[in-house]
Amino acid sequence: MVETIQNLALGFSVALSPPVLLYAFVGCVVGTLVGVLPGVGPLAGISLLLPATFGLNATNAIVMLAGIYYGAMYGGSTTSILMRIPGEAASVMTCIDGYAMARKGRAGAALAIAAVGSYVAGTVSVVALMFLAPPLAAFALRFGPPEYFALLLLGLLVLAYMSGGSMPKALSMAAFGLLLGMVGIDQMTGYFRYAYGVVELGDGIGVVPVAVGLFGIAEILTSAGQVTPPPVIKPKLRELLPSRQEWRDSAMPTARGTVLGFLIGIIPGSAHIISSFVSYAVERKLSKKPEEFGHGAVAGVAGPESANNSATSGAFVPMLALGVPSGPIPAVMLAAMMVHGVSPGPMLINEQPQLFWGFIASMYVGNIVLLILNLPMVGLFVNVLRVPYPLLYPVILAFSVLGVYAVNSSVVDVWIMLVMGGVGYLLRKLQFETAPVVLGVVLAPMLEMALRQSLAMSDGSYAIFLSRPIATTLLAVGALLMLLALRPLVTKTFDWRARLALAEKGDL
Amino acid sequence: MIAVRLLLLAVVAAGAAGVLPAHADEAYPSRPITLIAPFPPGGIADLTGRPLASALEKVLKNPVALVNRQGAAGAVGMNSVAVAKPDGYTLLVALSSISIIPEADKLFGRQPAYTVDQFAPIALLTADPTVLVVRSESPWKTAREFVEDAKKRPGQISFSSSGVYGTLHMAMELLSQAAGIKLRHVPYSGGGPAVTALLGGHVDALASGPAAVIPQIKAGKLRALAGWGSERIAALPDVPTFKELGHPDAEFYIWSGVFAPRATPAPVLAKLRDAVRAAAAHPDFKEAMARQETPIVFKQGEEFQKFFDADARRLAEGVRRVGKVETK
Repeated sequence: MVETIQNLALGFSVALSPPVLLYAFVGCVVGTLVGVLPGVGPLAGISLLLPATFGLNATNAIVMLAGIYYGAMYGGSTTSILMRIPGEAASVMTCIDGYAMARKGRAGAALAIAAVGSYVAGTVSVVALMFLAPPLAAFALRFGPPEYFALLLLGLLVLAYMSGGSMPKALSMAAFGLLLGMVGIDQMTGYFRYAYGVVELGDGIGVVPVAVGLFGIAEILTSAGQVTPPPVIKPKLRELLPSRQEWRDSAMPTARGTVLGFLIGIIPGSAHIISSFVSYAVERKLSKKPEEFGHGAVAGVAGPESANNSATSGAFVPMLALGVPSGPIPAVMLAAMMVHGVSPGPMLINEQPQLFWGFIASMYVGNIVLLILNLPMVGLFVNVLRVPYPLLYPVILAFSVLGVYAVNSSVVDVWIMLVMGGVGYLLRKLQFETAPVVLGVVLAPMLEMALRQSLAMSDGSYAIFLSRPIATTLLAVGALLMLLALRPLVTKTFDWRARLALAEKGDL
Repeated sequence: MIAVRLLLLAVVAAGAAGVLPAHADEAYPSRPITLIAPFPPGGIADLTGRPLASALEKVLKNPVALVNRQGAAGAVGMNSVAVAKPDGYTLLVALSSISIIPEADKLFGRQPAYTVDQFAPIALLTADPTVLVVRSESPWKTAREFVEDAKKRPGQISFSSSGVYGTLHMAMELLSQAAGIKLRHVPYSGGGPAVTALLGGHVDALASGPAAVIPQIKAGKLRALAGWGSERIAALPDVPTFKELGHPDAEFYIWSGVFAPRATPAPVLAKLRDAVRAAAAHPDFKEAMARQETPIVFKQGEEFQKFFDADARRLAEGVRRVGKVETK
């Protein structure tokens, strides 16, 4: 304990030195920007800026790149809440209730809750990173393909079980997303699937164009198709801050999102995206008023926004403690370390205490910077809502096209976004939820890879899923959920889902 | 009127396509050169290409920009250079996979994205032999024990790789071929996850680039058994080569080199070869590669061609031997 505090003091002496502070600030600002821009997410931001860090020293470079990563989680909520465009893929869930809150005139409150939730999650998870990194990293290593497959399967079941509206509709959307996720090179055999000779499709359909298309473009089409345009919301200054009730409603979801995000973040994969989906599902399940979800539930903003921030710290656990990547973003950061002659690995904490503790301390500082940066911006950002739609929508469209193109410099991605916009418009008209499609696209490659790696490990025997304790436990929980979902069929009691359907009929 | 316009259009188009020798006497280079890395930032091509670009810029006193054009395991970027205007302003920094992709395309009866003979080799920059690593608590203390055990239990010992037909897969395949053993392949999506899988005990062995595993070897988590090089790895002087152990065909390098489109004029190529040689000897480039613990192995002309041909032949054989992967 004493040692940790001494180390942390060393860290702060590094983190508060002017150059490190400056680069942390630059990283946070860039992160917020790539988060705000639709399409461009933290991976694109870090990749684009990596070359610029080659001239810096290792600590400055890592601090700045990390700032981009967690800064993007702050910025991602902004466009989701104001315009229903996910600023980056982890903010898809925020689009649903955040935007609904904005339509009710609570945009300021939603933005503030997202920022504060991100701050709490960011800070608490760094504490966890500091104390728990070595033991948790060892645990994360035990997650091989079979465990990973079981976890993803469980995740899909949880989401289907907890999604609103009709379960068949939610499941069919998830299946559609999984199908889209199958496009591209088969990682296990090298075959091209559903690519029809388009080389770019060999890499598969990216989550960014799908998310921006299904949410942003579809929203513009839907609004433009209305006979009377939606009223322009004029936010009043005194309504910017959340009410006491809204603070209270956001407290527990923030806490749960923080814990959940950190734990999911440790496990390899695009954890920050998955954590926001899982947090949303958990909040809806635990809520006393699940019918509010989709219509501006505070918990639907606070939970996922906290979870995606916390997951970024979780993702640093294997990277710092073991020198192995837990996802594409830590992989780029590891490369950045190697460029500077720092060998990431189990010895990093001992060999480079300045870098390690400076990095930890800079995350405390960075989160404060981001809170200071983002809270006053709330007043500024809500003014976007004052812009008349004939001006606002073309601008959004232009930014979406630019953002999606910038990720891979691929025109094919722009086409995917536009097609998905049309598909999303149709689906919304038919009252399908589109979030499960995005989740399907994220999960499909990982789920398939994990399943087939497991079978490669066992030489084709499915018994591997029942011979490994973690995988077996996860699968058992999944089976239990399925049984619970079937219960209303037997007992004929109305659950909230049925109540919701009745309530919506009353509305019509 | 329309005819005049069409004629004008044709002239402009012809000029743009390089049919008209508009600036034939113009000195090379007189405008920025683009060096394409067909992989995302942070990969080997990127980490070698960027210091090279900045050293080349100093040598040529002309801007050289590295551009990442990732996609389809590198095929998108390599194709873009293969069909680029052969004027010396579009170059490629490629890895061993340049000879694997067309071979895999052939295997699947696909229209190849490009062929190797669309490129003119300029220089080899680095060539790092892969090294066989296992967990330190695993029973194999030497490469000989590993091979003996694999012979006794065909298809039982598993290894991770950076992906099917990827460099790390090919290294293991060449060993299997040379030693007459059969291993179980579990592909991952990248070299990083492949190391993670070995550390987590989900596979038994891995062929890896030295830089990625040396920290784990030093920390006592992994043990190096043997290297694929013709000589021992400088940072691992106690680790023998497969050549020493009697498997001379198990030779494999993760290499990076610079290429230009095949039809680039000979004087431009000559100038580029001189410039790249000077850039590779530039202290900035040397320092950058030393920090990454990647030795510079510079080869040009006949020497590079020989290395490249031998490597391409080995890899083509490896791909053909693996054949189409059928999964259960």
